Amino acid sequence: MEIAARGLVKVFPAPALSGGVPLAALDGVCLEARPGVAGVEGPNGSGKTTLLKALAGVLETDAGEVLADGIPAGAGRLRELAAYCPANPRSFYFRLSAAENLRFFGALAGLDAGTAAARAAGLAERLGLQAAELSRRFDRLSEGNMQKISLIRAFSRRAQVLLLDEPFRGLDAASTESLLGLIEEAGRYSAVLLSSHSPQLLRRAAGRVLTMRGGRVTGEAA
Amino acid sequence: MSAARAVAAFVRRDFLQERSYRLSFSLGAAATLANLAVFYFIGRLFGGELAPGLKPYGTDYFPYVFVSLAFFGYIGTGAGSYSGRLRQEQTQGTLEAALSTPLGTPSFLAALTAWNFLFATFELAVYALAGVFLFGLRFPAADWPAAALAFLLSAACFAALGIISSCFVMLFKRGNPLAWVLNNFEGLLGGVYFPVTVLPGWLLAVSRLLPVTYAVRAFQLAVNGGAGVRAIGGDLLKLAAFDLVLLPASVWLFGLSVRRARRTGTLGEY
Repeated sequence: MEIAARGLVKVFPAPALSGGVPLAALDGVCLEARPGVAGVEGPNGSGKTTLLKALAGVLETDAGEVLADGIPAGAGRLRELAAYCPANPRSFYFRLSAAENLRFFGALAGLDAGTAAARAAGLAERLGLQAAELSRRFDRLSEGNMQKISLIRAFSRRAQVLLLDEPFRGLDAASTESLLGLIEEAGRYSAVLLSSHSPQLLRRAAGRVLTMRGGRVTGEAA
Repeated sequence: MSAARAVAAFVRRDFLQERSYRLSFSLGAAATLANLAVFYFIGRLFGGELAPGLKPYGTDYFPYVFVSLAFFGYIGTGAGSYSGRLRQEQTQGTLEAALSTPLGTPSFLAALTAWNFLFATFELAVYALAGVFLFGLRFPAADWPAAALAFLLSAACFAALGIISSCFVMLFKRGNPLAWVLNNFEGLLGGVYFPVTVLPGWLLAVSRLLPVTYAVRAFQLAVNGGAGVRAIGGDLLKLAAFDLVLLPASVWLFGLSVRRARRTGTLGEY
């Protein structure tokens, strides 16, 4: 699967009567990604998260288009193709166990309960998450383990496009190494895009790194 | 993904969440019974003689209000639960995550409140058991097929109103004028606590614009008055007309409001 963005523009309107000004988050972003790993770096507010959300079909852009294998893909199609791991783990049901959360989101992504559980167990082992942690209520997990559950949710879809926003956030050294391995493996069958504020990790994970500033891709390094 | 799989996933999730709040469930059931008891004693205080407005229904006050509350409790689930659930998803931060999946709008809507309808069915059964065994109610004249038809048409209509109401939550997060109308005026103008014939003329005219008026009247006439499908055909047709317009409109409007939230980047906001 090759995913290509052509001239993506996203302007967030200011809330009505707020006196604020619209926020231009993406200003004509163009990029291409095929199976492999690409990194996205840039200062805070440069548009990394907005770009990943637009490619995931979570956001709809104001202009430009995304092509999947050369065919224009709307937000609905992108949600079928892409798995997205947000930077913030506050996207789970806190009173359910981690395993139940993964079963629920797996079902929404089309996975049956057995497949979701098997993939969750395998990924948990890879990320150094003990089985007991999977049965623990989500709000009783540590920050790092919440991040691992968020990563498992995205990886377990085995989507053709994998979008990881700050995936190393909160992980210990061993888990970071395991995640680097998982990203490399995913890159064999998926187009993986990940953002990070760690230049070292980004370069270890990604074969090429795009730099964003002011809502534009301003550079690319292999 | 299939709507059935989404419904099953949401029901399981909501059951597990509700189970984690055990006290809330027991208090809710106790409140329902206390509410019924209030109307039971009002009925005993006034009896049937002071209620000429109830003559068409062939019953006295307590059976009338009991049937209304049981019926309105269920169809009100449709009116209130969509916006409630959506708001809950927003504040938990899970709405954006759920809508980041391939789940389509109709499946999402079918699944979002499936648990509420399941629970409302259980409450309806509790109402029925309490009515029969605790308060000694009997409905010998009831035309159950006609009542079932009125029930289905009404439930669909109120679910559509609930979906439209949830569009306000999707777009504005807080401040829901339709929910305000549904919560504050449906009971007053729809004949839930008393027949609308006791309202003054100008309020009666307003009540004729509301589907709840036809819903409650048709159901009451079928259950308490023994009216058949033909006898309540006018009300059923009006409910069907409301359904025909409101159901597709509600799904379309909800899709539009989700799209708007995706465009403004407010899907994850609360």
